Amino acid sequence: MNSPRDRPDGPDASGMLRLGKHAFAPGQPLIMAIVNRTPDSFFQPGATWSESAALDRVDQAIAEGADIIDVGGIPAAPGSDVGVAEEIGRIAGFIAAIRSRYPDIVISVDTWRHETGRAACEAGADLINDSWGGFDEQLAEVAGELGAGLVCAHVGSQRPRTRPFRVAYPDVMADVLAQTLRQANRALAVGVLPDRIVLDPAHDFGKNTWHSLEVTRRLAELTATGWPVLVSLSNKDFVGESLDLPPEHRLSGTLAATAVSAWHGARIFRVHQVRESRQVVDMVATIRGDRPPARTVRGLA
Amino acid sequence: MLTAAALCPAAPLLARELTGADPVVPELRQACREAADALVQSDPDVIVVIGAGEQTRTWDDDRARLNLSPYAPGPGPALAAAESVPLPLGLGGRLLDEAGYHGRRELQEAGADEPAAACAALGASLAQRAPRVALLVMADGSARRGVKAPGYLDERSAGFDAEVGRAIRDGDLRALLTLDAALARELMATGRPAWQVLAGAADGARPTSVVRYDDDPFGVAYLVASLTVR
Repeated sequence: MNSPRDRPDGPDASGMLRLGKHAFAPGQPLIMAIVNRTPDSFFQPGATWSESAALDRVDQAIAEGADIIDVGGIPAAPGSDVGVAEEIGRIAGFIAAIRSRYPDIVISVDTWRHETGRAACEAGADLINDSWGGFDEQLAEVAGELGAGLVCAHVGSQRPRTRPFRVAYPDVMADVLAQTLRQANRALAVGVLPDRIVLDPAHDFGKNTWHSLEVTRRLAELTATGWPVLVSLSNKDFVGESLDLPPEHRLSGTLAATAVSAWHGARIFRVHQVRESRQVVDMVATIRGDRPPARTVRGLA
Repeated sequence: MLTAAALCPAAPLLARELTGADPVVPELRQACREAADALVQSDPDVIVVIGAGEQTRTWDDDRARLNLSPYAPGPGPALAAAESVPLPLGLGGRLLDEAGYHGRRELQEAGADEPAAACAALGASLAQRAPRVALLVMADGSARRGVKAPGYLDERSAGFDAEVGRAIRDGDLRALLTLDAALARELMATGRPAWQVLAGAADGARPTSVVRYDDDPFGVAYLVASLTVR
């Protein structure tokens, strides 16, 4: 059974996505709530820097319908260095605290470092959100070894915590497909289970606004691979530049992009605002016919 | 010999259609138009557009096209890569088109890693193309001039860009040949090879200069200037 012929070479045929104790079917949109253990992230900086505030945010997110809690200890933007020990210190104990309070919730860790991924999984994380696209190749190996899920993100040629500068692609969507599928295949090769691999086109990462808009417009090409697709759209610059709005006023634009992505078949939505996002993805799932309406009597009495 | 030169940035947002509904930098585009107009009015036999890119090579002007689709994909047909020139040359060519220039033109790419001596030699050979050679130099300073800059803040960028600005203002183009290529790369100052080609073309002459724009609205140093060799 271990011959290369038998090794899985693509997504799970049933389309099931298994994270932690859960199995999620296609057509069941999942909300991943962002809880940053940072003093300096771009949206509501420092809001969940203290552990008590962060745990309150987790309580609120789960009450509002979050399926996954995504914990990160380093902002995406450049800034003061956060070493491995500092990063682990920010998130590992906190993940353990979430796990003890919510034994069944799916927990994900947003990191590019394998040491942090290992510490997070040992503390209770189920999914490694490798948001810098396989920069540290050992991160996928940690996911394979520990049975965790892995998010494979497209970042072009960006290194962690760098901004795009005059990036250009002959075809950005082709690059997204090639880079994420290459990572998914490598994840399979190092033992990550096929029903635990997720692709993320990573809006704004290694992309200008035109690129992120194109990726949104053509997202169906990524969902057509059969791999579950995660989108991280929440309050990002491509929304801000489209509508000329600062981060605190990007919710409507975020939800519009969320609806389009849901229509194209994205399955995980990484968000700051859980309640509004939950309503949007559930509504789109209902329009698609993936989810029944909650209660229908209008015209039926 | 070199008789005139214009310096303009090679930023994608120089293309008006890439900044959406907001012109964003109309004064920068205006300064570039004025520099291109002055260059065309200098009565050159040939205008060579010079810009940094992957490798040192000359592009065939008849087939050269500005291709913005790698920067702004969207619905509609994209140009085939084989028909398009690197962005600095495409933007420069467009400036000449907009200035109404129909004379002889060459498009010269200078490799991003080309050492100073090779850039200077290239410039010297360009200056021999005709009795009156004009250069349109598409070049940018550091992209690390603040914490919001594309490359975040590098404190050394201010000094680096100030020295380039001084050399241009004073007509002291020889000073451009001493710019450290490794430092320029660290500072994301993509214009270094193109400036050094200009210095080689000037062959020790000290041109007079008019600076038309010198600012960094997005953390990248943009310098627009016109140089005249008397």
